[in-house]
Amino acid sequence: MIEFKHVSKVYANGVKGLFDVTLKIEQGEFVGIIGLSGAGKSTLLRSVNKMHDISSGELNVNGNEVKNLKGKDLRKFRRKIGMIFQAFNLVTRTTVIKNVLTANVPDMSFFKVLFGLYTKEQKIAALEALDKVGILDKAYIRADQLSGGQQQRVALARTLAQNPEIILADEPVAALDPVTAKQVMNDFKKINEEMNISILINIHHVELALAYANRIIGIREGQIVYDGPSKDVDQSILDQIYAGNIPKEESLHGTL
Amino acid sequence: MELYDKIFKPKKMELSNGKVVLEKASRAPFILIVLVLAILLSAKITGFQLSILIERGGQFFVILLRMFSPPDLSYIGKVINPLVDTIKMSFLGSFVGSLLAIPFAILAASNLVNNRVVLIVVRLFLSIVRTLPTLVSALIATYIFGLGTMAGTIAILLFTFSYVGKQLYEQIETVDMGPFEAMEAIGANRAKGFLSAIMPQVLPAYLSVCLFCFEGNVRYASILGYVGAGGLGLALNEKIGWRQYDSVGTILIVLFLTVVCIESFSHYIRTKLT
Amino acid sequence: MMGKETIEQQYKKEPKRWYRNLLIAIFLVVAFSWSFSTVHLKITPQGAGVAGKIISGIFHPDTTLLFNFTSSGVAYLLLETICIAFLGTIVGSILSIPLSFLAAVNIVPKPIAVIFRTIIMAIRTIPPLIYGLMFIRVTGGGPFTGLLTMSLCSIGMLSKLFIEAIEDLDIRILESLDALGCTTFQKIRYGILPQLFSAFMSTIIYRFDMNLRDATVLGLVGAGGIGAPLIFAMSSYRWNQVGAILVGLILLILLIELFSTRIRIKLARG
Repeated sequence: MIEFKHVSKVYANGVKGLFDVTLKIEQGEFVGIIGLSGAGKSTLLRSVNKMHDISSGELNVNGNEVKNLKGKDLRKFRRKIGMIFQAFNLVTRTTVIKNVLTANVPDMSFFKVLFGLYTKEQKIAALEALDKVGILDKAYIRADQLSGGQQQRVALARTLAQNPEIILADEPVAALDPVTAKQVMNDFKKINEEMNISILINIHHVELALAYANRIIGIREGQIVYDGPSKDVDQSILDQIYAGNIPKEESLHGTL
Repeated sequence: MELYDKIFKPKKMELSNGKVVLEKASRAPFILIVLVLAILLSAKITGFQLSILIERGGQFFVILLRMFSPPDLSYIGKVINPLVDTIKMSFLGSFVGSLLAIPFAILAASNLVNNRVVLIVVRLFLSIVRTLPTLVSALIATYIFGLGTMAGTIAILLFTFSYVGKQLYEQIETVDMGPFEAMEAIGANRAKGFLSAIMPQVLPAYLSVCLFCFEGNVRYASILGYVGAGGLGLALNEKIGWRQYDSVGTILIVLFLTVVCIESFSHYIRTKLT
Repeated sequence: MMGKETIEQQYKKEPKRWYRNLLIAIFLVVAFSWSFSTVHLKITPQGAGVAGKIISGIFHPDTTLLFNFTSSGVAYLLLETICIAFLGTIVGSILSIPLSFLAAVNIVPKPIAVIFRTIIMAIRTIPPLIYGLMFIRVTGGGPFTGLLTMSLCSIGMLSKLFIEAIEDLDIRILESLDALGCTTFQKIRYGILPQLFSAFMSTIIYRFDMNLRDATVLGLVGAGGIGAPLIFAMSSYRWNQVGAILVGLILLILLIELFSTRIRIKLARG
C-alpha cells in the first residue's frame, strides 16, 4: 500500500514540484497518472522509490517511511519496487537474458557481479519472466537488435524477475508506435490482474490511460486535481487537468 | 576572437526584404600569417637549411644501405632473448598499467563522481604522469631500480596507466546513464551499478585502447634499452656503438616482423570487438 | 505461453561462452607469470634515496637554471624543443599526405595500397633513435637533426590516421556536386577537401603533442632540445637541476595540451 500524507516537494530553485499531495493506493490497483509535462507526474512517481526526495509530509510505502530510508535499507526497499523507463534503459550491447538477469545484481556479491556468475535458478527465473511477456525466443539475442516494443518488454521482464510488489512506469509507451504501445499496455494489464502487482503509470496518452487504468490521478502544477475511477473521467475533468491545453483529438471521443 | 572581430569589422549584408546579416571576417588570413611566422621562427631556431639537406641527404642512405646489404643473419640467435624481454616488458607494463587505470578513470569521470576536488586532482595526476616522456621516466627508473628490464617495465606501466586512464574516463563520460539509473532504481549500490550497467558499455572500447597501447609499447620498449632499461634497445645501442650496422639491420628486421605480427593480431581482435 | 519444457530447452540453448573465457583467462595468467621474469621487486636503499632526491629536486628546482633565458637556459631549450616538434610535425605531414593517399584502398588498387602500407609500417618500426643517428651523419648534431628525425617518426602515426580519414570519406557528396554540374577539380575542392581538412588538422595537432614529448628525448642522442641537459644533470646527480628541467617540461606540455585540446574541439564542432 502506498500512502501520501500532505506531501510537498520544493526544488532548490524554489519551484514547487508537488504541493500537499494526499493519496492512498491499495495493493493491486492499476493507476494512471495524467497531466501536462512538468505538472509533477514524474516527481510523484519517483518519490515512491526515493529517486526523488520529498521536502515535507509523510510517504509510507508498504510499511516503510520513505523519507527515513537510507543506504542498505533503501536498497533493500527498492528491490521490491520495479521501475520502467521511457527510454527502456537496457544495456544495449548485451543479450536480452543478461539484461533480465541484472535484476538479481543487488543481491549478489561483488565478484559474482564482476564475472557475471548467475545460478541456474536465476537463469530459469529470467527465462520465465521473458516467457511471461512473450519473447522467450529472443533470449540470446543482443538487446539493440530488437524493436522498441520488444525492448520495453525486456525491461518489463527485468522488472518481473525482481518479483516486485509495485511497478512504477514513467511514460513507458511514449517512444512506441500506437500498435506496439497497446501491446505493452496489455502486458501491464495482464501482470496487474494475474499477479496482483500494483501498477502506477505516468502517461500523457489520455485514451490509453482511460482504457487500461482503473483509477486516474490527474495532476496540475504539482497538485492533485482529480482522483477517481477512470470511467468517471469526462471532458470537463480533462479540461481541468490540462487547463484547456489538451488538443481535441486527445479527448474522450478521439480515435482509439 | 572577439578582439579580432573588433578590428576587422564583420561585413554587413542587406537582403531585399530589409533584413541585415552580419558576416564575420574570415579568420583564415590571420591564422595563415601566424602559421608562416611560426614556421620562419622555428626554422631559424632549429637551423633548418634546405641546402644542407640536399647536399648531404645522400649520407642518410649510406647507413641504411650498410644495414641491409646484407644484414648479418647469424646474429639472429642473439637477438631472440632481448626480443623476448622486450615483449615481456611491454606485456607486463601494459597489462598492469591498464588494470591500474580503471579505478583512477572511475574517479575522474564527472558522471560518476560528484566531488569536484577529487575530479580535478585525479585528472591532474593522470595528465602529469602522461606528460612524462617514456624515456625520461625510464631514465629515472634506472636510477631508482637499477639498470635492466624492471626500469623499462615501470616506464611502460606509467605511460599505459595514464594513456588508458584518460581514454577510459573520457569513454565513461559519454556513456548512456539510463541503465545505471535503472540499476539504482532496483536497489544496486554504485559499484554494482557500474559493473552491470556501465562496464558493458565501455568494455569494447577499453579493450581496444589497451591493445592499441600495447602495440605501441612494443615498439617503444625497443628503444628503452638505450637508457639501459633492458630489451632490444641495449643490443641496438651496443651494435650501433660498434658500428656493426649489419647486425643492426638484423635487429630491425626481427623487430619489424614481430611488430607486424602483433599489430595484425591486435587489429584482428579490435575489429572483432566493435 | 510455452510450457516448462520449452523453458528448459531455451536454457540449454545458451551459447557456451565459458570455454572461451576460461581459455582467455588462462592465456593471460600464463603470459603474466612468464613476463614476470623481467621484474624484480626490490628497491635498494640507494634507489629509494634517489627517488626521494628527485622528488625534492622537483619541489626545489634550480630557479637560476629555470629562469635563465640565455641559450643554455631551460626556457630557451624548451622553445627549441617546441620548434623541433612544430617543424618536424609539419614536414612529417607534408611527407605523409601523398603516402597516405597511395595507401588508401578507396583511391588506389589494393596491391599498391598494400605495398605502401608495408612501407609505412617499416618506416614506423625503425626506432627514432636510429633515425637520429642516421641524420647526425647528414646534418651533424643539433636541432636540425632532431627536426628531421621527428618528421620521419611522425609519418607512422600521421599516415595511419590520415588513411583512416581518407577511407572514411563520404563520397555521396560528390554525387550532389556532380548533379550541380561541377568539374572534377571543383568536386575535390568542395567535396573531399572540407571533410579531410578538419580530420587532418586534428590528427596533426595531436601528433604535435606527442612529438613534443619525443623531441625532448632526442636530446639524448645529441639532437637538440632539452634531453641532453637532462641526462647530463642526472648523471652528475644534480637533482635540483633535474627538478628544474622536469618542472619546465611538464608545465610546457600541460599548457600546450590544454591549448591543442581546445583547438581540436573547435575543429570537431565546427
